[in-house]
Amino acid sequence: MNSTATAAPGGLIFRALRDNPRGKLILLGVFVFLVILPFILPNRFYVRLVNEIMIYALLAMSLDVLLGYTGLLSFMHNAYLGIGAYSTGLFLMHAWSGSVWLAMLAGVLCTMAVALPVGWVQVRTGGLAFALLTLAFGMMFFTVAWKWYPVTGGDDGLMGLPQPTLSLLGINLASSGNSTAMYLFTLGVVTVCFLFTWRVIHSPLGAVLEAIRENEERAAFVGINVRRYKLIGWMLACGLAGAAGSLYILYRGYTGPGVMGAFEGAGVLMMVLLGGMGSLWGPLVGAAIFIFMKDFLSSLTEDWEILVGIIVILLVLFLPRGVAGLPDLLRRTKAE
Amino acid sequence: MEPILTTKDLSRHFGGVLAVNLVSLNVYDRQVHSIIGPNGAGKTTLINVITGRLGASEGQVLYQGRDITHRPVYERVRQGISRTFQITSIFMGLSVQENVRIAVQSHLGGSLSIFKPRGGLTEVNAKTGAILERVGLTDVNRQPANSLAHGDQRVLEVAIALAGDPKVLLLDEPAAGMSPAETDQISELISALGKEMAVVLVEHDMEVVMKISEHITVLHQGGVIARGTPREIASDKQVRDAYLGGDQWAPLTKI
Ligand SMILES: Nc1ncnc2c1ncn2[C@@H]1O[C@H](COP(=O)(O)OP(=O)(O)O)[C@@H](O)[C@H]1O
Ligand SMILES: [Mg+2]
Repeated sequence: MNSTATAAPGGLIFRALRDNPRGKLILLGVFVFLVILPFILPNRFYVRLVNEIMIYALLAMSLDVLLGYTGLLSFMHNAYLGIGAYSTGLFLMHAWSGSVWLAMLAGVLCTMAVALPVGWVQVRTGGLAFALLTLAFGMMFFTVAWKWYPVTGGDDGLMGLPQPTLSLLGINLASSGNSTAMYLFTLGVVTVCFLFTWRVIHSPLGAVLEAIRENEERAAFVGINVRRYKLIGWMLACGLAGAAGSLYILYRGYTGPGVMGAFEGAGVLMMVLLGGMGSLWGPLVGAAIFIFMKDFLSSLTEDWEILVGIIVILLVLFLPRGVAGLPDLLRRTKAE
Repeated sequence: MEPILTTKDLSRHFGGVLAVNLVSLNVYDRQVHSIIGPNGAGKTTLINVITGRLGASEGQVLYQGRDITHRPVYERVRQGISRTFQITSIFMGLSVQENVRIAVQSHLGGSLSIFKPRGGLTEVNAKTGAILERVGLTDVNRQPANSLAHGDQRVLEVAIALAGDPKVLLLDEPAAGMSPAETDQISELISALGKEMAVVLVEHDMEVVMKISEHITVLHQGGVIARGTPREIASDKQVRDAYLGGDQWAPLTKI
């Protein structure tokens, strides 16, 4: 108890490392590596690729909150990335282009405002019906983005976006056109989102979500208002997806309806499954594998989707719990 | 004495099947009220309707004088109605301790404190420990629930039900599949619980029923055919006629 009284920064780090120090040191190492990366990578293309990976890592992690922790299947979680991207873009174009932070806030709030009634309807169903509704709503949002020319620019997407200045605590740092600055901005936001989600998942709230995943009926029979907590999980996941969407349009300076398609949605699900659901960090790795694989294979052949499909099938067959299940698997093979 | 739980002409049908037919009963605090009857008599359905797992087709459920017939499950639980299931329903992938801890947390509150660790709710931890101690699962509290023996899983479900400080505890065949030694233990526990709260017990083991019940209601084809003390039920001609030849009724003759 008195350890909280002496919470010096050093003590804080020490306490944070106390359980699972190896895992946390690895995460810290990855973070430091990612900070250095844009300064040592000669090719701007790869800086942007890693930037995109981090954004999709955030999206995949947010889907894991639903899939891995609450036990809810969302087929088109990328729809909420899309809504975040469009609303951030529209805010920059029509409201105010002075602040990246405000544009992000607008994007996240808009996404959550759309997600709330959708979630309200969805949590009134269970299992397959829930999953089908995520598909139906996702298709609807895709069509709106694709067809509503005057607002979304239709299949041309949002173009001619102003490039706001990146500033922190009143100090202007760089233009959002600067790829290294945007990379670091993305890294910062994704890291904060990851730490926040980690905290929430390992809190009493996360325990409620896991109870729902394990046995929805028993959860109700210990007095949990299952719909309410599913909605909380849904809102958390959509808020994070909206943040990913803001990052996406800020880094690309553009978005089209393509990011909201069903095919893309399946890709996000694959990231989570490849990485291993129910671990938070697994989907981050899954996103990296998936996007590198896609980038590499699409440079080899136009029909790269077939190869992605084959590789995913093999991984699912031989590594059913994803990368996150790997340490456990190795430990068991060593024991034998 | 006022009953704590009452059903008034409660019915539930599935298509043409009348699973529960105009059942009226009173459940009193600090009594074990057993519901017996052959397979398919409607015992589980009755418990399902009382606890809100299934809706009533007709009739009312009154709890502490209030009509709860249409309240959602979680509200009934929060008001003090807990249950176990005929087919074990626990959080299989979670540890024994977490199974009880989440139930206690749901009861005592703290589910929205997102910046605390799960183990950071002091009161919740203390109560969890006390319940595990009481039912004798302390030694296995770190094991995943799905690794427990069947009997221990049944006990764990009772522990989960106790987390909500129930005023009415409904147990659907808690001793099903248990060894004689385990059955002795759980009937002792149920008997003790019956001194603290109202217990509604569905059980096939007549020895257990006759020993620990204050009151017995006999269901047959959805309807009540007899009610009374164990002694009265054992000597009821209609009850015997209804189950003539059933081995499970042999213990009745001993009373
Ligand atoms: N969900 C259901 N759907 C249709 N029929 C059911 C359902 N549950 C129970 N029944 C029927 O209701 C009757 C009572 O069943 P039940 O309450 O399980 O009896 P008991 O618990 O006394 O063995 C049986 O005829 C059973 O087939
Ligand atoms: Mg039954």
